[in-house]
Amino acid sequence: MTDLNPVRNPLLAWRMIEGEVVVISPEDSSVHELNETASFIWNALNGERTSAEIAALLSKEYDVVPEEALAHTQELIVSLQEKKLLLVTQEVGSGEHV
Amino acid sequence: MSDTPVMDRLIARTVERQIPLNVHLDLTYRCNERCVHCYLDHEDYGELTTAEAKDILDQLAAAGTLFLTLSGGEIFLRKDFFELLAYARRLAFDLSLKTNALLIDTERAARLRQLGVRRIQISIYSADPAVHDAITKVRGSLARSIRAIHFLKSQGLQVKIACPLMKQNLMGYRSVQKLAEELDVPYILDLTITPKMDGDVGVLEMRSSGRDLLPVLQDPLFHPSANGSPEGTKSARPTGSSVSSGVEVELYHDIPCSAGHNSCYISPYGDVYPCVQMPMPTGNLRHQKFEEVWYGSSAMRQVRAIRESQLPLCASCSIRKYCERCPGLAQMEGGDLLAPYERACELAELNARLAGVENPVSAFHQQQKAQADRSMLPVKVANPGLVQIVPITANQLGGQW
Repeated sequence: MTDLNPVRNPLLAWRMIEGEVVVISPEDSSVHELNETASFIWNALNGERTSAEIAALLSKEYDVVPEEALAHTQELIVSLQEKKLLLVTQEVGSGEHV
Repeated sequence: MSDTPVMDRLIARTVERQIPLNVHLDLTYRCNERCVHCYLDHEDYGELTTAEAKDILDQLAAAGTLFLTLSGGEIFLRKDFFELLAYARRLAFDLSLKTNALLIDTERAARLRQLGVRRIQISIYSADPAVHDAITKVRGSLARSIRAIHFLKSQGLQVKIACPLMKQNLMGYRSVQKLAEELDVPYILDLTITPKMDGDVGVLEMRSSGRDLLPVLQDPLFHPSANGSPEGTKSARPTGSSVSSGVEVELYHDIPCSAGHNSCYISPYGDVYPCVQMPMPTGNLRHQKFEEVWYGSSAMRQVRAIRESQLPLCASCSIRKYCERCPGLAQMEGGDLLAPYERACELAELNARLAGVENPVSAFHQQQKAQADRSMLPVKVANPGLVQIVPITANQLGGQW
């Protein structure tokens, strides 16, 4: 499994409302609502943490096994990247750029 | 707004929790146009400084505001406009602008794109320069606004034309529709002309009468969604209020609108109002924190307590469903947030008639008529045995007919 280094799209609008993140895409104005764990991951995206580091935080916060937390984190990151809500600037370890 | 179920949930949650999801911030009342129907005083009485405006943006972000509309006056007259816009971008607001666009050139259009502005609403009154420029009192203003629309479109920005309709341009609405199609932008036709914020109602003279509006409201092109245009196309739902803040839904069960529930208005002087169309001062951000005003103001709570089903007269009105009563206009035009007001009743009767209701009369007008009828009953005078009929006309009663 590669380690992703994601950062939020700086042009999007988002807000944490009642514990859940709402994101508006700058591409097509679509509105996205993240559930509690996805919101936790979103809030952990500070532009410096890798997906593995975020998964470790998720594992600790929600008491899930690290492998499951990493799979969940990376799945979400890929999904948000496809929607252009995240920019994945590099892959640490593989030496490739996404 | 796209993604309706998500938006509906968001609006329901924020209304329930009184989160100020949607804020309209006027950065200045200064303007480079002098529109004949404008409700603002364009003098500068001490606008928020850059630091004050940034502090307000910080507070709004912390309070949960997502949708931020920056307007005026003309926002591009603020020298710090792009600095404030960049600051708002860093706070991740969804940014909308309202402007006459006279000062937008290619460079500024590009900067708006770079700063992630999502929507820009531009006032166009007619496709005829003579009509448009006579309303704005600026020669060449139509050509400049249209040129700016091209600049903005070339940057991929979402542009919307807002066209308030009044006596001067009422019959030009089709030309605005055609212009919008040529420019490939959506548009909104707005029948709302409001009193000035200082209470001066002289500007209401600009309003078209019900008689003049009737042929317009009868025109299927004025209601294209009812004429078969699919929802979601540019021409669907082209009417509404260009003054309102942008989150337009019909979700507010038993409350008149979003004002004070999940939206509010902030003036260039830091005054907080439930809505730009409801100039009830609730606090000032030069002296108070936003959350103190939003949650603590008695005036804000008064607005939040309004329930459509409990309006003293309107709740029992038989043509209520055809009415677009606005509590702010009720306050400005009739002095009472809860009362009916003439314009709303006039338009409701027009809409009801167009929908096929026979001889529709609002509860307000029924009450006025009953009062007038009572006044015309025989009145006993001092000399017993003599009865004198004393007719009193509607004009003498001071009612609006």
